[in-house]
Amino acid sequence: MKALQWQGVNKLAVGTVPDPELRNPGDIIVKVTKTVTCGSDLHLIGGYIPFMEKGDVLGHEFLGEVVEVGPDVRRHRVGDRVVVSSFISCGNCWYCDQRLFSLCDNGNTNPAITETLWGQAPSGCFGYSHAMGGNAGSHAEYIRVPFADVGAFTVPDGVSDERAIFASDSASTGWMGADLGGVQPGDVVAVWGAGAVGQMAARAAELLGADRVIVIDRLENRLAQVRQHTGAETLNYESDDIAGELRERSGGRGPDVCIEAVGMEAHSPGVQFGYDQLKQQLRLQTDRPVAVRDAIHAARKGGSVFVLGVYAGFVDKFPLGALMNKGLTVRGAQMHGQRYIPMLLERMAKGELVTEHLATHVMPLDDAPKGYKMFKEKEDGCVRALFVP
Amino acid sequence: MLLIVGPLAAGAAAAVAAKRSGRPTTRQRHVITVYRPLSELEVTQLPGSLKEIADRVEIRLAAAPGGRGTEIAVRIPDGSEVTDGEVRRALRETRSLLEAGDVLLPSGPPATTPTLLNRPLQTVTQHGREGGLL
Repeated sequence: MKALQWQGVNKLAVGTVPDPELRNPGDIIVKVTKTVTCGSDLHLIGGYIPFMEKGDVLGHEFLGEVVEVGPDVRRHRVGDRVVVSSFISCGNCWYCDQRLFSLCDNGNTNPAITETLWGQAPSGCFGYSHAMGGNAGSHAEYIRVPFADVGAFTVPDGVSDERAIFASDSASTGWMGADLGGVQPGDVVAVWGAGAVGQMAARAAELLGADRVIVIDRLENRLAQVRQHTGAETLNYESDDIAGELRERSGGRGPDVCIEAVGMEAHSPGVQFGYDQLKQQLRLQTDRPVAVRDAIHAARKGGSVFVLGVYAGFVDKFPLGALMNKGLTVRGAQMHGQRYIPMLLERMAKGELVTEHLATHVMPLDDAPKGYKMFKEKEDGCVRALFVP
Repeated sequence: MLLIVGPLAAGAAAAVAAKRSGRPTTRQRHVITVYRPLSELEVTQLPGSLKEIADRVEIRLAAAPGGRGTEIAVRIPDGSEVTDGEVRRALRETRSLLEAGDVLLPSGPPATTPTLLNRPLQTVTQHGREGGLL
């Protein structure tokens, strides 16, 4: 079958790979009908997460049709249109029972790498390096989905592919930031990053009752999408005084909840970016934590900061003093898709959650290398490139 | 990358240094928590690869606090040929069998191409359940 493969740092190519097989009795095989880029893929492509092998298939946010089911599968049958959580979870361990699905104890076949790096291993993810299980990704004609009764969800008839696909990861991630960040009615919420995840976090905060939601980015086309599709306010960090504006728009208190949806390749104006970029390129730190620093500094006393952006290892100049002395709660997580996808599909069906606009560029899988280039360089206003295998 | 690979390399270097210094490189004791009540488990009835090494190690079960299930502790006796890696793999596989009823297999068939740069990573992933800190 055809698939988009990682061929080396900043090298992608569409090639031919073996068709996936059922390996466990709870597996299904899905014919991928839509699969979409994610900002976190750029960390793999750029070599910032060095656990890729030449030939690995990328992609973790997708939707498709069930074409084969294992003997233990009960909730799905051939022909079902399903959206699949990007993280693979067994549904039966203590973490799954706590609905912390991306921390599943049984979904990563290579726990040694992340356990050594971080002390404990999170679960596995599709198309996201051998540290996350080495699972083949979704930028392919077919994909194997383990623990399908837990991680695959039938899409309601009234929800389009272009809407439902974002329940797979972006909408789940964004919702988790607002939910586990503790957004309450009346809150002021600030979101760093106006990509798909940031937009979904902003929309989630609104639906959870936030009084004001403010999204921060530098790309005007993305900020325009925020204003049009989520109703949130926007700030451009290249022209606005972010700290001052957030303080003013929250009555001098600072935002109650700050959601960081940027990740390890953050940009910023001024010397801070140069400093972080230099240290990252010299491998003296793995991540550029600009947005996390800003979020911690901006948050109100006793407020919360939720880190949604993907980080790999270690950062410099972390504002531990502000965190401690302001009494902040800082949380982070890979997304617990199984916890949110059924609710998100219901909201999508009711029109409360609109996502089609995120897929700004739709193209055949053959053009995926070009799609990633556009996505990375933000060419032509690309927010997400969606591939049709 | 240096900072990511660093801890892994440091672990390997520490093991080599310990071996040269004469200190034991094995932990001898490993423990895992399984989300099943103690009342459902018996040392002699544990499934999977833990059963295969059960006569060469010491296994103890204890209730985990807060309803978290059962702690399975394995000690490798002096003179046993069982390795830390075998115990880690056995504990992980047994937990998965008890909790999920199955042990997840890697994707397949592989789409990757062996290269010189891939080799260290492939070595690690071929023994993915044997390494780590458990």
